[in-house]
Amino acid sequence: MGSKYQRSVRGCLPPWILTLEVILFLVFFFFTSYDTSSKAQKEFLGTYQGFQDVVIIAALGLGFLNTSLRRHCWSSVAFNLFLLALGVQLTLLLDGFLSPTFSRKMSINLTSIQRATVSATSVLISAGAILGKVNLVQLVFMTVIEVTAFSTTRMVAKRFLNVDNHVNMMYIHVFAAYFGLTVSCCLPRPLPTRGKEKDQTATSPSLFAMLGTLFLWMFWPSFNSALLDIPDERKKAIFNTYYALAVSAVTAISMSALIHPKGKINMTHIHNAVLAGGVAMGIPCYLIHSPWLAMVLGFIAGLISIGGAKILLMCLQHKPDVFGICNIYDTYGVHYTFGLPGLLGGITDIVLKALQVKWTEVSMIGYQILTDLGVLSFVIVMGVAFGLLTGFLLNLNWWKPPSVTNYFNDQTFWKFPHLAAGY
Amino acid sequence: MRFTFPLMATGLEVAMIVLFATFVQYETDQNLSQKPNSTSVDLDTSGDLYLFFRDVHIMVFAGFGFLMTFLRKYGFSSVGINFLIAALGLQWGTIVQGILHMHGKKFHIGIKNMINADFSTTTVLISFGAVLGKTSPSQMLIMTILEIAAFAGNEYLVGKIFLASDIGASMTIHAFGAYFGLAVAGVLYRSGLRRRHPKEESVYHSDLFAMIGTLFLWIFWPSFNSAIATPGDTQSRAIVNTYFSLAACVVTAYACSSLLEQNGKLNIVHIQNATLAGGVAMGTCADMKIPPYFSLILGSIAGIISVLGFKFLTPFFTTKLRIHDTCGVHNLHGLPGVIGGLASIVAIAMEIPTMSTAMQAAALGSSIGIAIVGGLITGLILKIPIWGQPSDENCYEDSVYWEVPKRIEHDSLFPEHRSHNQLEPEA
Repeated sequence: MGSKYQRSVRGCLPPWILTLEVILFLVFFFFTSYDTSSKAQKEFLGTYQGFQDVVIIAALGLGFLNTSLRRHCWSSVAFNLFLLALGVQLTLLLDGFLSPTFSRKMSINLTSIQRATVSATSVLISAGAILGKVNLVQLVFMTVIEVTAFSTTRMVAKRFLNVDNHVNMMYIHVFAAYFGLTVSCCLPRPLPTRGKEKDQTATSPSLFAMLGTLFLWMFWPSFNSALLDIPDERKKAIFNTYYALAVSAVTAISMSALIHPKGKINMTHIHNAVLAGGVAMGIPCYLIHSPWLAMVLGFIAGLISIGGAKILLMCLQHKPDVFGICNIYDTYGVHYTFGLPGLLGGITDIVLKALQVKWTEVSMIGYQILTDLGVLSFVIVMGVAFGLLTGFLLNLNWWKPPSVTNYFNDQTFWKFPHLAAGY
Repeated sequence: MRFTFPLMATGLEVAMIVLFATFVQYETDQNLSQKPNSTSVDLDTSGDLYLFFRDVHIMVFAGFGFLMTFLRKYGFSSVGINFLIAALGLQWGTIVQGILHMHGKKFHIGIKNMINADFSTTTVLISFGAVLGKTSPSQMLIMTILEIAAFAGNEYLVGKIFLASDIGASMTIHAFGAYFGLAVAGVLYRSGLRRRHPKEESVYHSDLFAMIGTLFLWIFWPSFNSAIATPGDTQSRAIVNTYFSLAACVVTAYACSSLLEQNGKLNIVHIQNATLAGGVAMGTCADMKIPPYFSLILGSIAGIISVLGFKFLTPFFTTKLRIHDTCGVHNLHGLPGVIGGLASIVAIAMEIPTMSTAMQAAALGSSIGIAIVGGLITGLILKIPIWGQPSDENCYEDSVYWEVPKRIEHDSLFPEHRSHNQLEPEA
C-alpha cells in the first residue's frame, strides 16, 4: 500500500517556483526596458496578428493535443500553460543576454516576445514525450535546462555556422523531439499492465485532443511564417505549409485506414499525422517555389508519420528489448509527430539548398551540403546530450517523482472535489 | 417559462429594432468629416480595429461561455445563456452608450462602438458568473438591461467627468461587474441552499471544458486591454504589459495553489480562474509608461490574491455574509479589478505627474458604489416571484430549461460503465 500514497510536493514546488519568479523580477528590473522606437501601425498590427497565432498554437493547440489519455487531461492542458508562461519569460531573458548587441539593457518589443514564444514551444513539444511520468517540479527543472540549451544552440548556429533566424528556429521540432525522447529514455518505464489501463484512450478525451489538432492545423501556416521578414518568402511559406498540411491530412486518414486489418481509422494517428506536413515544411517552406513539391513533401511526411507510429508500436509490443531504443516510452507520440517529419524537413532543406547552388561552382556543393549536415547533426547532438543530462538529473529521488504505479493519473497532482470513482 | 420568456425576449428585440431605427446610423466618410471632433476613428483604421474587435468577440462568446461550464449538469445553460445575454447585451449596449455620447438627434456607429458594446456585455457576463445556476433566463434578460444601463452611466462618469484612465477597464468592467453580481447574489440568497447543493459540483470533463474558456481568455486578453488604446506606442505597450502580467500570474497561481492544498496538489478551480487575474489587474495601467518588471510584479500579486480569495474568502462570503458566488467572480474579477485600480494610483503617483490620483481613486470608488447600489436594486426586482425562478432543488440543473438527452444523465452517473461499453465492441 505504501506506494499508493503520493509523496507531497508541497515543500518543494511552491518555494522553487516563487524563488524563480522573484529572480525573474530582479533580472527584469535590472536588465530590461521596453522598446520605445515607434513603428508603422500596419507593420505593428501584422506582428501582433502573427504573435497571437503563435500563442494560440502554443497554449490552446499543444495543450489540447496531449489530452488523449483517459486520466491525464487536466495535467496536459494546465501544465502546458504553466510551462509556456515560465518558458517565455526565461527565453526572453536568455535571448537578450546571448544576442551580440547586448549591453547593459535589452529592449523588449513584440517581435522579441514572439520569437521567445516560438522558442518556448520546444519545452511543450518535449513535455509531450514525458507527461504523465513526471511532476511539476521536474517539469520546471526541465524547462530551465531545455530553454537554456535551445537558446545556446540557436546562438551557436547563428554566430558560428551562419544559419539565419528562421532556419535555426525551425530546428525546434528535431531538437525538442530528441530532447524529450532522451529524457523519456532515462526515466523509469511504466508498468506494462497498469500503464495500459490508464494509457488507453477513450472517446471524449479523443475529441478534446481533436480540438487541439484542429487549432494546430488551422494556425500552422502562421507558425512557419512567423519569423520570415521578406514578404515574398513569407507568402511562399504560408502557401507551401497550407498545401502540405492539406495533403498530409488526406494521407494520414487514408493510410490509417490502410494499415488497420479491418480498414478502420485510428483516432490517435489522425491527431498526430495530420500535422506532419506542417512540421516537415518548417525549415524548407521559404525555398519551395511550386505547390506540387510542397504537396509531395506533405504526402511523404504523412506516410512516415503513420509508418513511424505503426512500426514503433510493433517494436514495443513484440520485441521489447532488442535494441536499447525500444525502451523509450513516448507518451504522446512526439517522435512521429515532430521528430521524424522534422528530420524529413531538415534533409529536404539540405537537398534544395544544394540544388540551388549554381552548377558552375561544383566545389561549392560539397561544402554547402557538409555545413548543412553539420548544423542538423549539431542540433540533434545538442538535443540528445542535454536530454541525457536532464534525464539523469530528473532520476534523482530528490524531486519526489510520482511512483510508477501512479503514472498517467491526474489524481497524483490534482485535488479532486469529491472521490471521483469513475472519471 | 413557456410564455414569459418568449414574450419577454421577443418584446425586447422589437424594442431594440425600434430604438435602432430611431437613433442609429452607420458611419460613412461623409458624416465622419461633419462630426465636430472626429480624431479618434478614421475609416482607414477601421480594418485594423476589426482585428481587435474579433479578439474581444471570441473572448465574450467562447471565452466567458466555456469558462462557466464547470458545473456537472449546467453546461448547456452556461454556454447557452451566456450566448443569449451577450447577443442582447451588445445591442442594448450600443444604444445606451450611443445615447450618452450623442451630439445631435442620431449617432453613428463604427467598429469602435462594436468593441465598446462587447465590453458592456462583459459586465453582465461577469455578474452572471456570480448567480450562475440560481436564476432563470427571464431574470437574466432583466439583469442584462438594468446592468448595462448602470454600467454605461458609470463609464460616462469615470471617462467624461472624472477623466480617469481605465483603458482595459479593470474598474469599470471587472470590479463593477463583480460587485454588481455579488450584490444581486446577496439579495437572491437562498437559505434553503445553505449547505452545499448536491448538483453544485464538477466532473472530470466539465472541468476540462472550462479550461477551453480559460485558454481562450488567456490568449486574447492582451487584445482586450489594448482594443481601445490609441494606435501606436500606447497600444503596443498595453499588449506587452498585459502579456507579461498574465505570464507571471500563471506561475504564481500554480505555486500558491500547490502551497495551499493538501499534499501540494493543484486545484483545477484555481488554475481555471486565478491564471487570468493578471490580465484583469493590468487593465487600468496597461497603457501607462511603466517598466516591464512592474507588470510582472502586478501579475504575480494578482495571481496570489486570487488563489487566496478562492481558498479563504469565498467560504467566508458564503457562510458569514450570505452571498453565494458560484464562479468565484469576486476572486477573478472583483479583487484583481480593485488591485488594478490601486496599481494605477501607484503608477500615476510614481511616474505620471500630469494625471490626478484623486480622480483615479474617485473612479474606483464610484465603480464599486454604483455597482453595489445598482446590484441591490436589480436583486430586489429579480426577487419578485414572476420570472419563473427555479426551485431550490432545481438549481444547477439544465433539464429545467433545456431539452436534455436522456443518456447524458446516465453517463454522468455511471461514467465508468459507459467507457467500458463503448470500448468493448472493438475487441
